[in-house]
Amino acid sequence: MAYDCIIIGGGLSGLTCGIKCAEDGLRTAVISSGMNSLHFSSGSIDVFGYRQGGGKVYRPFDYMKETAKSNPAHPYSRIGSRMVRESLEFFNDQISLAGISLHDNGDENHFRITGLGVMKPTYFSQDSVFNDKFKKAVEERASIAVLNFDGYRDYYAELTVSQLRKNPIFKRTGIITGKVTLPFYTRTEKNLHEFRSIDLARVFDTEKYLPRIAEEIKRAARGARVVSLPAFIGIDNFAQIHKRLEDLTGCLIYEIPSLPPSILGLRLDNALRSRFAALGGEYSGGDRVNGGEIMDGELDHIHTENYGDTRHRSRFYVMSTGSFFSAGLRSGFNMLDEPVLGLRFSGSNRRSDWYSAKFFDRKGHPFLKYGVETNKYFNPFGSDGKAVKNLFCTGAMLSGYDPIREGSGGGVAISTGYFAAKRIIGEMKKNK
Amino acid sequence: MIKLENISFDHCIKCTVCTIYCPVARVTHLFPGPKQSGPDAERLRIKNPGLVDESLKYCTNCKRCEIACPSDVRIADIIQDAKWKYVKKGFFRPRDFFMSRTDLAGSLGTIFSPLANFLFSFFPVKILMDLFLKIPYKRSYPAYERGTFRRKFKKLAARQKTFEKKAVYFHGCYVNYNNHSLGTDLVRVMNAMGVGVELVREKCCGVPLIANGYLEKAKKNALFNISSLSGAAAGKGLKIISTSSSCTYALKHEYSHLLDMDNTGIYNSIEYVTKFIFDRFEEGARPPLRPVSIRAAYHSPCHLERLGGVMYTIDLLKKIPGLDLIILHSECCGISGTYGFKREYYQISQDVGYQLFRRIEEADPEIVITDCETCRMQIEMNTKYRVMHPVSVLAMALGDER
Amino acid sequence: MERYETQAVVIGGGATGAGTLRDLSLRGIKSILIEKDDIASGTTGRNHGLLHSGARYAVKDLESARECISENRILKKIARHCIEDTGGLFVTLPEDDPVYHNELLEGCKISDINAREISIKEALRLEPNLNHNILSAIWVPDGTIDPFRLAASNILDAKEHGAGILTHTMVTGLELKSGGNIVRAADEKGNQIEIRCDLVINAAGVWGQHVCSLGGIELKMFPSKGSMLIIDYRINNIVVNRCRKPSDGDIIVPGDTVSLIGTTSREIDYSRIEELRVDDDEIDVLLEDGEKLIPNVSKTRALRAYCGVRPLVAISGETMGRNISRGIVLIDHSERDGAEGLITIAGGKLMTYRLMAEMTADLACSKLGTGGRCRTAKTPLPGSEKKISERKNVRAFTGISQSVVGSTLYRHGLRVQDILKRDKKNYRLICECEMVTEGEAEYAIKKLDVKNIIDLRRRTRIGMGPCQGELCAYRSAGLFADFGIYRPEKSIELLYNFLEERWKGIKPVLWGDGLRESEFTYWIYEGLLGIGEIKFDDDPGDGDGV
Ligand SMILES: Cc1cc2nc3c(=O)[nH]c(=O)nc-3n(C[C@H](O)[C@H](O)[C@H](O)COP(=O)(O)OP(=O)(O)OC[C@H]3O[C@@H](n4cnc5c(N)ncnc54)[C@H](O)[C@@H]3O)c2cc1C
Ligand SMILES: Cc1cc2nc3c(=O)[nH]c(=O)nc-3n(C[C@H](O)[C@H](O)[C@H](O)COP(=O)(O)OP(=O)(O)OC[C@H]3O[C@@H](n4cnc5c(N)ncnc54)[C@H](O)[C@@H]3O)c2cc1C
Ligand code: SF4
Ligand code: SF4
Repeated sequence: MAYDCIIIGGGLSGLTCGIKCAEDGLRTAVISSGMNSLHFSSGSIDVFGYRQGGGKVYRPFDYMKETAKSNPAHPYSRIGSRMVRESLEFFNDQISLAGISLHDNGDENHFRITGLGVMKPTYFSQDSVFNDKFKKAVEERASIAVLNFDGYRDYYAELTVSQLRKNPIFKRTGIITGKVTLPFYTRTEKNLHEFRSIDLARVFDTEKYLPRIAEEIKRAARGARVVSLPAFIGIDNFAQIHKRLEDLTGCLIYEIPSLPPSILGLRLDNALRSRFAALGGEYSGGDRVNGGEIMDGELDHIHTENYGDTRHRSRFYVMSTGSFFSAGLRSGFNMLDEPVLGLRFSGSNRRSDWYSAKFFDRKGHPFLKYGVETNKYFNPFGSDGKAVKNLFCTGAMLSGYDPIREGSGGGVAISTGYFAAKRIIGEMKKNK
Repeated sequence: MIKLENISFDHCIKCTVCTIYCPVARVTHLFPGPKQSGPDAERLRIKNPGLVDESLKYCTNCKRCEIACPSDVRIADIIQDAKWKYVKKGFFRPRDFFMSRTDLAGSLGTIFSPLANFLFSFFPVKILMDLFLKIPYKRSYPAYERGTFRRKFKKLAARQKTFEKKAVYFHGCYVNYNNHSLGTDLVRVMNAMGVGVELVREKCCGVPLIANGYLEKAKKNALFNISSLSGAAAGKGLKIISTSSSCTYALKHEYSHLLDMDNTGIYNSIEYVTKFIFDRFEEGARPPLRPVSIRAAYHSPCHLERLGGVMYTIDLLKKIPGLDLIILHSECCGISGTYGFKREYYQISQDVGYQLFRRIEEADPEIVITDCETCRMQIEMNTKYRVMHPVSVLAMALGDER
Repeated sequence: MERYETQAVVIGGGATGAGTLRDLSLRGIKSILIEKDDIASGTTGRNHGLLHSGARYAVKDLESARECISENRILKKIARHCIEDTGGLFVTLPEDDPVYHNELLEGCKISDINAREISIKEALRLEPNLNHNILSAIWVPDGTIDPFRLAASNILDAKEHGAGILTHTMVTGLELKSGGNIVRAADEKGNQIEIRCDLVINAAGVWGQHVCSLGGIELKMFPSKGSMLIIDYRINNIVVNRCRKPSDGDIIVPGDTVSLIGTTSREIDYSRIEELRVDDDEIDVLLEDGEKLIPNVSKTRALRAYCGVRPLVAISGETMGRNISRGIVLIDHSERDGAEGLITIAGGKLMTYRLMAEMTADLACSKLGTGGRCRTAKTPLPGSEKKISERKNVRAFTGISQSVVGSTLYRHGLRVQDILKRDKKNYRLICECEMVTEGEAEYAIKKLDVKNIIDLRRRTRIGMGPCQGELCAYRSAGLFADFGIYRPEKSIELLYNFLEERWKGIKPVLWGDGLRESEFTYWIYEGLLGIGEIKFDDDPGDGDGV
């Protein structure tokens, strides 16, 4: 057997699982066909943000315990809040080994500021998005400058501020908006329309413009103590860049996520992939798993698009191919399925059941809850109705929860991935 | 009827992740990036071919965008296709003609190899080439060997018959004209795993022809190769292996995607060499390996990334005892076949590769390992390091048994 | 209360109203147009934009056929940038009655429509995606027409000739008395407006029944709903008609960057015209029949579905949607109802708007006793003054991407000169699918009566491409705040309304890549930005199709 574990889909869930397996010395490979949804996310990890009937969750682990009985099919209920917590700590450790420090409030959520000035509950945020200094500064009613860059279309400071001002927390805080002009922005250049977060992040990454940008920030901030920028202050060296900018400007500098591509998410993805590689994991990014064979309740082999008939074999398999968005689930004209292995699917086949009448309906959309059904160990069911014992499904492809309405996408991805890794490690030990 | 395989742009959900990973968009604003040149513009070009924006010519066809795309959009194919379908091309382009005929240039070069190698490294000649052919004088050209690999192989052919297991080797132009030792290394490695090597009649895989817009000629070559390979290999259930990631990619994907050729007969048989070795090793045919105590940095070529084959090369290298392996951050070297040899793209090509060169220098290995012949040229030209193919490194580990 | 005085008030900013306003203005009659929503937000913006050759009517309705071909020829000259001279095909499928083919050719001959039978090979060359099993094909001079541009450039010209326009203003009362009529209206904020005028022109399409009733006059409309489906890209470059008696799903029309499959026809009750929706089984029918004309079309991405109501006036007692004549109905209410100052213009087609306007303005002039002769058959619309050379224009803007110049030119004709100035704005794309720059958005917002993002979409195609507003919606909202048009709070509300409006057309075709796209958009706006948590004062408004 070539591998101990092949993971299909290298997203937040698959990579967390892969890191845990590789750390334990398992021979692990990830096969992924495209970039994962971290690239579009806020870069914050939501664990549990909203209550079932509406209202915010302040203590996510307590809420998990509270709802475990009434909602037994929820991935969290199957894992248990203790292990969810353990998985998040593991994740935090790994990410910090890769040089990113995450903020959390222990048992509690914190609130990140969105581009529209809404305060959204979340569990982990990068230090440049939220930290204790920020909390303190807000409590002290330090003045805030919400800034944007000239020519950048994917963020508008005025929109953020208009809602912030309505928020009681910022009632008596002085908030201004302003624009930073990049040193080279005076040139009109063809194709400047590709002026995205990624292009700006690279400007920061080159570092040579930093002193001038800092000057510009200081000018635009007009003496404010706290400055927010759209989230692209560097990719690889962002921690140093962030610190240097704070030193150069004398302001506290924060990032507010803008439209995708998400630099905050890209950092996490880079961190996860570099951890996985450092622990000896093998990653293949250019291929898609397009089938496999389940025999007697075990996945025997899989094959991929680029290798045709060739069979890839492993003792255990994990599928974390994401939701519809990442093509882990598939919808057609009056049909829904899991496209790779045809695993048992939970969801209605009638198209009109999939959505709510309003786009921003408070109840969300039913299709977001659809996904693969599993037993309590996250083993899915094959077409014969039997659980596939050496295959685990994790992350966004799972049914039974609504990542957006509940604010639980990141937490479920991490904890289910971690859970699967622990099961696999346990089984491997038993078999030895 | 709508051909579904030709409308992969229809799946694009405008997530822009391809543009993040495009090495060209990173270094120049002249290129608006894969999303815009690919799926976005394709809709417009279908509406009105006049809407084509020539900036798409900056795409190097490295395929990194396709690796990144979560929607299976064949972005690079779309751009390549559009390049020749919608943009007007000059009638006679001597440089492109010359560059795309690697086999022609190769057979001439190998006949007159000392002269050719001397001329191509002679400064005044380079200046002339820069002036008339728009080939930047700073470029150095691959040296030609004397004679061809096929000739050399004749001496080895007899022994190959003694093996029960066999595989067909598609050597490609580079091995045939510029690097015989890679070919002989391959034969040694295969033999050590108990596999005999066969050659069949082949023509240039067509990559440079496609890149320079000689699609009809490329189609002819493709047809020739498909029939030759399917008769000799696929028909007999033999694997077809290649030591060039770009040749592999062309045989496997570009023949059908860009040239509209039916290659289903050979599709399942084609394998890049390290995957073949991986499988043989798994089957237990792993020859004893001597330690190769070298500090090496591995660079993964774009087309091998696209094939999903990098993990097999890395796996192979990890199995070589003593090899102190540094895996370089996966990024494009910038040369992209003939692209970097053209004056108008030279600077972009260098800028794309800059980070890679810097990282190699930081790692300061004894050798660099990579699977692709043009990556090798680019790295050798821009750094002081010698570059080797993984198969040659493996051959080193086999020791001398000649 | 705002008060105005003018000679004529036109109610309804569809093609008919816009055309009438322009015609009156060119004749020197002072007029104001009132539209309850936006220009082309009614039936004008909810059809398939076919520039009929008349062939479709040549078998049963020669009058319409003749009107069509004559207007077809006129519009190709005066509205170049709103029209594409694609040509059209009538193809007979194996299951179709072959007799219709000859009847059609015959009818075209009588109506002076230049139709000709072509070989199947030729048909397939013209449209390679066409079903290869067709039995015969006829080429006809069909074309396509962009209703948004058509209506907007009529309005633009009228304004440049002194007309006034009030959009997002609803007529709420009519006082029809000789010696001065009063039109009462209210805008969205509830401001009351009163206009005193000599003449009221009811060009409110299917809502004409309601407008008449405001003046105490009974006029029965006969609403028939038609649904259409938009495909992600242009699957055909020539109009494809099925050569059979008019029925559901018998046409595929290319329109700018997309193609449309049309249409169904269903009787509906007048009371339901405000709450129209596309039914799931209509989608089934359209895809099934579309597949017969262009195989595999059902496997491409459907972007959205929408429906419109045919504004047919039930003069006689007919009850079947397609059999009622689509003829033009011009009513002088002085004869019919003793209302001296009211004219109703209804029926007809999008592409006969000019003729309808001419007839209306003729009547208006004779009633008012002033005004000159109609000039609209000769005077080109703004943007179409000269033949447009793409090559020349592309060259004039070197530095800007060719696809941007070409797309802007396509949308605004020669007015591209006012838009694509050498300014950074024009290097910044707001909508990446349809290549709309910040400069174009600014021009539309400031010059073309754009009041919200939905309107902006009609003027520029923002949000009409495959992503249906995923990124451009946010960017556009920002622009409204940036240009100082609205407070930022209001801009966010526009954004919310826009996305809700888009959803109406997306949800009937929510599967496959469209569903993926929607999941993404939902993540961005709800997950990333948290727009759902913002409380607005008013409810999202109504929106529409295309
Ligand atoms: C746009 C967006 C924004 C989000 N924002 C947030 C946020 O801000 N906070 C939060 O907590 N959560 C967020 N989420 C929720 C998100 O679902 C989870 O946080 C998490 O990223 C999901 O991880 P995953 O590994 O399960 O799936 P994904 O990250 O979707 O990864 C699946 C991977 O599998 C690959 N794949 C699919 N099919 C195959 C195949 N057949 N063969 C090989 N590979 C395959 C895909 O290409 C992809 O790379 C967001 C989700 C989306 C879609
Ligand atoms: C499914 C379908 C397909 C069609 N296809 C074609 C085609 O391919 N080619 C073609 O030429 N024709 C076609 N037509 C016909 C064409 O769409 C209509 O004939 C034409 O658009 C009618 O335009 P209008 O201006 O008269 O009406 P409308 O566009 O409906 O304009 C009336 C306007 O009045 C406004 N209004 C209503 N009440 C008030 C009030 N109280 N105060 C202020 N304003 C008010 C409305 O908001 C509306 O904007 C099609 C129609 C349908 C239904
Ligand atoms: S193939 Fe390479 S250069 Fe071309 S668009 Fe894709 S990533 Fe960019
Ligand atoms: S990565 Fe794929 S889906 Fe995303 S924008 Fe590029 S082509 Fe479209």
